Parts: sequence; C-alpha cells; structure tokens
Amino acid sequence: MTRNDIILEARGLKRRFVTHKPLFGKPTEVRAVDGVDLQVRRGETLAIVGESGCGKSTLARLLVRLIEPSGGTVHYEGREIGALGDAAMRGLRRDLQFIFQDPFASLNPRMTVGALIEEPLRAHGIGDAAARRDQAAQMLTRVGLSPRHADRYPHEFSGGQRQRIGIARALACGPKVVIGDEPVSALDVSIQAQVVNLLEDLKQEFELTLIVIAHDLSVIRHMADRVAVMYLGQLVEIARTEDLFRAPRHPYTEALLAAIPLPQYGARKVKVSIEGDPPDPIAPPPGCRFHTRCPYAIAACQTDRPALRDLEPGHSVACLRAEELDLTGTADAERSHNPATERRFRLYREARHEELQSTPT
Amino acid sequence: MTPDAPPLLEVRNLSIRVANARSNLVDDVSFSLQPGRTLCIVGESGCGKSQTALALMGLLASPPLSVTGGTALFNGRDLLSLPQAEKQRIRGDRMAMIFQEPMSSLNPVLRIGEQIAEAVRRHRGVSNSVARARALEMLEKVRIPAAGKRLDEFPHQLSGGMRQRAMIAMALANDPELLLADEPTTALDVTIQAQILDLMRTLQAELGTAMILITHDLGVVAEMADEVAVMYAGRIVEIGATQDIFDDPQHPYTIGLMSSMPALGRRSERLVTIPGRVPSATDMPDGCRFASRCPFRIGICARTPELSNPGGSHRVACWRAPIEETYLQPQEAQPA
Repeated sequence: MTRNDIILEARGLKRRFVTHKPLFGKPTEVRAVDGVDLQVRRGETLAIVGESGCGKSTLARLLVRLIEPSGGTVHYEGREIGALGDAAMRGLRRDLQFIFQDPFASLNPRMTVGALIEEPLRAHGIGDAAARRDQAAQMLTRVGLSPRHADRYPHEFSGGQRQRIGIARALACGPKVVIGDEPVSALDVSIQAQVVNLLEDLKQEFELTLIVIAHDLSVIRHMADRVAVMYLGQLVEIARTEDLFRAPRHPYTEALLAAIPLPQYGARKVKVSIEGDPPDPIAPPPGCRFHTRCPYAIAACQTDRPALRDLEPGHSVACLRAEELDLTGTADAERSHNPATERRFRLYREARHEELQSTPT
Repeated sequence: MTPDAPPLLEVRNLSIRVANARSNLVDDVSFSLQPGRTLCIVGESGCGKSQTALALMGLLASPPLSVTGGTALFNGRDLLSLPQAEKQRIRGDRMAMIFQEPMSSLNPVLRIGEQIAEAVRRHRGVSNSVARARALEMLEKVRIPAAGKRLDEFPHQLSGGMRQRAMIAMALANDPELLLADEPTTALDVTIQAQILDLMRTLQAELGTAMILITHDLGVVAEMADEVAVMYAGRIVEIGATQDIFDDPQHPYTIGLMSSMPALGRRSERLVTIPGRVPSATDMPDGCRFASRCPFRIGICARTPELSNPGGSHRVACWRAPIEETYLQPQEAQPA
C-alpha cells in the first residue's frame, strides 16, 4: 500500500473531556479517545463499532476536526488538518462531510429543504443562486425525493425522508470523505434498507470514502469493507469485514458477535459471554481495559497493556493472548432457509425488481 | 401447547381509534395467550403494537385515543370493561408492564427499594419490613450486584441495564401471571441486551409468567417467542408459532421485512427493500393496508382480507397467500 492510498490518517489521537471541575483539586476527566492510530483507505467503507460510551462518535468528530484533539494528529491527503488555519480548514470542509444520526435534530426546522441543501454550497461560494437551486433540485432527485420538495420544511417529512435530506446536504458540495454517525439506526427496518442502498449507490457514483459509525453489526456486515472495534476509547481490533466476522481475534469482538440475536428459527441463541456493564471510562482498569469482563483473562492482562499489533497483514488486534485463543465468529451462526421460504424471498425480490422497472422512482 | 387449556388472555376484535380519525389505529386485533407462553408482537413504528399493550393495561392516552370495540378476557374477566378500582387491583399484581426507557418509568426521587416495596405493600397489604425484604429478594433474583446497597440508591445512580433489571424486579414482585414488555431492550447495547433477554427467559421459566413482548427486532423475536403476531398499520397481518413465521412466512410484509434485513453470516448483495412508508395513523388506506407498498397487489386488495388459515394455528391476512401459487399465474385470486 502506498502512502497515496491513505486518504485520512489518525496518529496517537486523544481527546479528554472534563466531566467535573471542583473549586480546588484536580478536575475529573474522561479519556473518550485514548491513543487511536487509524488509516482510512481511499474509496473504502470503514466501520467503527462499539458500545455506547466507547468513544466512537468522538473519534468520528475528531477525524474531521469538528472537535479539537487533546493530543495526536489527523492527516488528510498528507496534510495535518490540526495545523490548518480557519480559512484553510473551511476550504477543507468541502471535502469532509458528516451525516448525523438523528434526522429530527440535525436539520434546522426553520429552513426549507432547498435552503438546507443550498447552504453548504453558499458557504463555499459554489455557483450563483440559480446554479445552486439547480444543484439542490438535482440532489433531491438523486436521493429519491422530488425537486418540488425544495420549498417544504423538514417537519413535513418522515424520518427516512429526513435522513435522505441530510444525505443530500452532506453530498451537495462534492465531498471526498463522508462520515455517517449511526446514519440508519433511528430508522425502521424497511426504511433502513432503503437508506443503506442509497448510501451505497451514492458512494459509488460520487467515488466517496465512507466512514460509518454504528452499533448494528448486521448493517456493518453488509456495508463495510473493513471494521474497527473500539472499547473504552481504544481500538481493540481492525480487520477486513469478512475476516472479523468469520474469525474474530479479540475476545470483545467475539462477545459482541455472540450477543446478536439472529432473526431465524432454530439459529444459535445469544450467548452472554460477558457479564455486567462496561467499566467507568473515567477510571478505566489498568492493563487490558477489557480484562474485567474478559472470559479469557489471565494474570498478565491485569497489568500489561496490549498494543494494537498486526497478527497477519490487514488484521490487527490488541490482545495478549490473540495467538493462542480460538474464537468463534458468525460463519456457522445462520442456517439456510428451507427451499419453500427461499422461493418466496426470491419471488418477492423478482416482484420488487419488476416493480422498479415499470415505475422509475 | 394444549389447545384445550383455557387461555390466560383472550383478546377479541380489539379496536382503538384516535379522536376524529376516519379509521381505526388498531383494527380488529385478536389473539390469545396460554399461561407461561411468550407472544411477540412485531412491527415497525406506528403499527399499533404499543397501543395494543397499553389498552390491555388500561393505560391508553385517552383522550385522544379510545378503545372503540372488542374484549380482552384475562382469566375470564374483560379487562376493557372493568371498573377503574378493579383495574388498579389487577395492574401491578396479576399483570405488569415494563417499558423501553426505564429512566422515564422509574420515579427519579424514590429509592429503588422503596419503589419495589410500594408495589408489594399496595397489593399484598404487608408491613414495610416484609415489603422491603421482598424488594431485596427481587433485586437478587434479577442479579443486580450488591443488591442490598442498590436498594437505597436512586434510579440515576444505576446504569441503563441495571435500571431495566430493577424495572423487571418491580414488575415481577407480586408474581404476575402476565408480563407486558414494550421494547425492553431496544435502548440497551447488544451485550447488555443479551443479558436482559437471558434474564427474562430464566425468570419466566422459573415463575411461569406469560409474556407479551413487543419489539421491532426479528432477532429478538426468534430468540424469545413461542408465538408471533406480525402487525402492520394497526392490523395483525400474520400470526402463528415462531417456526411457522420464520420458516413459512406468508404475508408479503413479513417476507419483505425478513428479506430487507442484512444477514450476519454472509455478505448479502444489494438489500431488498419495502418501498414507500407506513401510512399515517389518521389516514389509513381502505382495504389491505399494505397494498400500496406490496409488489404483489392486485385489484382485490382494495378489499380487506380476513385472517385465514394456511395450516395449524398459523393464520395470514392476504388475498394472495401462499404467493407461489398465485403469483406465477397472475389472475384474480378468489377470497378464501
């Protein structure tokens, strides 16, 4: 891999938040992101997964400098974005865009949809008023809405449609990297599939690099080329999606996969391999941060902090016991449907396909 | 399941309407539940699954919502027509409910132990110390670590998973025969969800409580259900044993829902979708409510299909089910 394949890179990235500041004495800090090294390859879809409070949203915001790091650097196309001045950073925002989780909270309710989509164009001085209006109309069509929606307000739309508006807004100024922070998790299952397909189409069409933050591992399985697993502010495993799901090498990844209920009768039941809640991120445990919940922990795990290291090319893991453990993935988790059910699924697919052919949306 | 045993709960033709709406929000919903069994009601936002449970508990937001028809026999007595005092006697005692967000259903200014003891005192008329002992016993039963200490803590001092455990402890404190659980694990992380599902299953086996579990997650359904009711836009479109629903899905909505979920074991190609969106509660379409989104719709779908029987206890409300018999030779299907 040449340097040129890396579009975005984090080195030793850290972010602390002060949670409590007494009049005297030391403030209480939470280290939300605590030393993350991550390389994002041009054109890939990279997923960052982990449970609430693991720092994945903070990491996403650091990667596009929506918040400032407490330590470490982020390089975009070889340039350190933390060193850029305001004007240069503003120029760069055109390349780095964000899609938020909650389509109800992330759109200004007092702006029309057209104005919302034109806003980033205006901010970057792209085109004149007429050209921007055209561009907004085009974007609306592209995300499956209609140009006549431009004069309406966000509250007139459903959750799925609002997320489409959020996507149109993020893509209007032609970004190179788009970060989606739980872009589909607020949506119903049937709508979720629509938006996932849309994101994949647009990624292809606009040649985007996509970073997706999510907690739903089946959506990740579908969308991502590579997956990074986070636990208490640190990356514990990074691998190609296939490899991570088939043969996870970190006990936390194994536990996450085992906890997913499968939508099939007679499939394996969820396994409670880790008990209790994650430890308080204000006072993370010494050694490996996962050792307090890890079923495979040995004495060394309580004191030695494992670094993220390459087990094989493209598969990194931060676990002292990675070589000796034989962990279970999801390869055999599902059974195939019976032929009659398969046939119905196929008929549904065909009927949908036919419908799409006859009525272009 | 022995078909002869009298059901614990028998809901017949339950309808709920929003004031001034032209059609029912929950329309003609019927199902029954045997003692100790789990029925999952699955559907997307606005399908009426939560309103159904709230109506059974007598907790419907009324006005604007009101029950416009039907009965719900619980141990032979109609929950929907009970006087208020009688309802209060049953609620929290013979039947109890847990909700998605435990933080908003626990009283933030009452200690955990006090909240559980209150339910026990109220229904059993026992002394404070007996009620408190019961609260402690329940917290231990739901495997809250250091239960004795948690008894005197406030809800905000507990994590999300712990709060949901406390809610379960409170709901089960009087050994109810029926537990209604509305998306009890949706707000939780997947590893915590696994713990709570496991806990609910264990307690149910131990106490013999019947359960109505409301969820949007087909994974949770496969994990927990004995029987499944699929709801769409206020109606049950398909109902049957869990294996029937997963291995012999008949309604196009059920089939579409299952097809649109990405698989975990292998990478799927492009996701199959259900086009459009759920109709709004105040403007339900006539006839089959799924028709406008259904790739198999035909003329007759303008009429409302009844739940009919493809086999066993499995019933489906679709003119065209089973689809492989009607779709290949497109023609007007005859009503069953």
